[in-house]
Formats: sequence, structure tokens, C-alpha cells
Amino acid sequence: MDIHFEKVEVRFEGRTVIHPLDLNLSGRRIGIIGLNGSGKTTLARMINGLVKPSSGRVTVNGFDTVAQEDEARGQSGFIFQNPQNQIILPLLREDIALGLKSRKLSKDVVAAAVDAVLDRFGIRHLGDRRAHELSGGELQLAALASVLVTAPKILVMDEPTNQLDIKNRNLVENTIRTLPEDVIVISHDLDLVAGLDRVLLVHDGRIAADGEPAAVIGEYRAMHGVHG
Amino acid sequence: MRSLHIDGDSRLHRMPAGLKLASLAVISLALFTINHPAVLAIAALVGLASHALLRISAAEIWRRMRPFVLIVVVVALFTGVFSGVTEGLVALFRLAALALFASLVTATTTTGDFIDVITRAAMPLERLGLLKASDVGLSIGLVIRFIPEILSRYEVIRDAHYARGLKPRPLSIIVPLIITTLRSADEIAAAIDARGIRSQK
Repeated sequence: MDIHFEKVEVRFEGRTVIHPLDLNLSGRRIGIIGLNGSGKTTLARMINGLVKPSSGRVTVNGFDTVAQEDEARGQSGFIFQNPQNQIILPLLREDIALGLKSRKLSKDVVAAAVDAVLDRFGIRHLGDRRAHELSGGELQLAALASVLVTAPKILVMDEPTNQLDIKNRNLVENTIRTLPEDVIVISHDLDLVAGLDRVLLVHDGRIAADGEPAAVIGEYRAMHGVHG
Repeated sequence: MRSLHIDGDSRLHRMPAGLKLASLAVISLALFTINHPAVLAIAALVGLASHALLRISAAEIWRRMRPFVLIVVVVALFTGVFSGVTEGLVALFRLAALALFASLVTATTTTGDFIDVITRAAMPLERLGLLKASDVGLSIGLVIRFIPEILSRYEVIRDAHYARGLKPRPLSIIVPLIITTLRSADEIAAAIDARGIRSQK
């Protein structure tokens, strides 16, 4: 991945959510940690163009998220905190196909792409099931399939293990570990981000620490008086 | 999320979605030209019997029809009071038949098929530069998606009242229902953008 934040600032209703920031994200697997409301989701949403910077610019693999919105968005997929909101159509197979609609592909090509992505996660048997019938882990895999069918190079995941039991959490963690795509994971799950290559600590809209997971997690714990 | 579609392999399930929607339009127009309560009652019964033929349970038929019952009864009562009993019965059976036939279409058509057929139908308007056909299809699909979801939300909010020993009141249900639905709509709109379903070009 090659993501650049250049003098980026985000303000909502007179409040600064992200303070002026210069940041380069490259590498395979990056974690973002921080307290609730620290600005980590805002930071991640800028990568997909879901949040536009109030000033400065964000480029993803060379595409500006404002001036080249569609191209930049095509570089990354975003997995939302609540996968129920990610799945738009009730039937999983139809929902995954929806992501390919704007590409005006033939029905056969779309069906083959849907089968391929379902097979990739071993969930072809869930293709004709409805989202509300799936377990938490199955829903996360379904959300992954719905995003990865468009073949983005970067995957941004917002708290992917949130609200999952230990079995489903491990399933999602193992899936993240084996993904060939570059991954950015926002999480409160420190065991999950400990296995990544680099971790950013966001605090009050600023990058408070950036580096090796063990060191950054240690700093986060120390900052809030928590001992691991 | 719940769905209005019910799995099956009936002739109605296999019928092209466009044909079903066109038939529904024709039947709806026909129902408005009929002013005989007995004929309209038979039409409503046909709609009901068709649900049974599709093996849709009575409980499921009630779940699907429940949101319309109040509207149908209120309209029929008002019509009956102001225009006479016969007119009231005409309104009652006409609206009931309409709701039942529409329910047959939603029960046997997936949301994806709805989106496809509406998008195709709107293509001439896109060629005239009036709108984007895929946006119209997606909008209709989202409306169909949200109907059962709003009902589910209503049940959750109602149960939350009971859990706290409160009696559900229209205002205390409607306000949180609107807020949670709008919040969810925001997230779904963001998901549509994030997944590139509605590209800007």
C-alpha cells in the first residue's frame, strides 16, 4: 500500500477531530489503536473517501480521494464495524453481486466472480442464506467477501472482532492473517493488532505513537495505566 | 436483516420479475375499475388462497399484512361513514386484494431481481438524460429491503418498553424508530459508497 496524508486536518461542527497530520502508510499490515472518539475511525474512513479532509489531501496508491474519488475508492475496500449495515441485500449471493453492478459485466461473469469469492472463504454454502440467519463470524466473512469481490488492493477493517465470541474472533483473526491484500485494522483487540507489522496509536486526533506493535501497545497501556 | 422474499420453486417464483410486476400493475388497475364488493371480495380471497398454494403459513401472511391492516380498516371505515356501507366494503376488499397480490410478488421475487427489472424499466429515461437507471433500481431495492427491517426495529423498541415495564405509546415508539432507522440508513449509504455500488461517473 502507498497512502499519504499531506497536511490533513478534519473538523466537524467547529471541533477538530484530526489535527494537522502528515503520515505515510506503506507495508502489508497496519493496526490503528486508541480510545473511543480518539479519531482512529475518521482517519481510516479518509482512506476510502468516506470522510473528506477539511484541509490537506489524502492519496491512495497515487489517487487523490477527493479529485479522483472513484479511482481512489477502487484501491481500497472498507469493512464496517457492524457487518449488518455492510450487507445491503438480504440474500448473500445477490449482495456480493451488487458490488459488481456498476461494472456492467455479464450475468455469467458476475456469478463466476461471486462463486470464486465465496469459495475463497469457504462459505459457498451460505450463498443462498439471508444475512440475519448468519452467525457473527459468518457475517464478517460475508462482509469480507462482499468487499473483496471487487478486488481492492487494500482492505480497511473497522473493529472486525467487535462483539464476536472467542471462536468467531479466532476465525476472523486467522482469516485476516492469511489475506494476501494489504490490511489496515482499527481495533481495541490488542492481541489482534499485536500480530501486525506496524501499529499507530491515535490520541485526541493526533498520532501519539507509531512503530513496532509491542512498543506501541506498551505505550498505549502505560498512557492509560493499564498493565498487560 | 429480514426479507420479504420467501424461498420456493413455484411457478410464480420462476416467472420473470418483469412479468410479475406488469401483471400486478394490470391487476391493480382492474381492481380500481371494479365497484362490486362481492367481486372484490373474491379477488381478495384469490390473493389469500394463492398464499396458501405457495405454502405460506397463516402466521407469515398475518406478519406481512399486519402493517396494512390499520390503514385498510381506517380507509374503509371513513369511506363507509361518509359514502355508505357498499362503498366502505368496496374500499376494504379492494385495498385488501391489492395488498395480498403485492405480497405475492414480493414473496416470490428477490430484491436483486426487483433492482434489475426496475433498472431495465428506467433505461429509456436514462437515455433521455433524465436520471440514472441504476440509481432508481437501487432506491426501490432499498425501500423493499427496509420495510421488514423497520418492522424488526419496531418490535425491538416495543420489547424494550415491556422490558422496562413501560406501556408502548406512539410517540415513544416513533421517535426512536425514526432515529435508529436514519442512523442505519446513513451507515448503509456509506457502505454503498465504500463498495463502489454507485460510482460517481
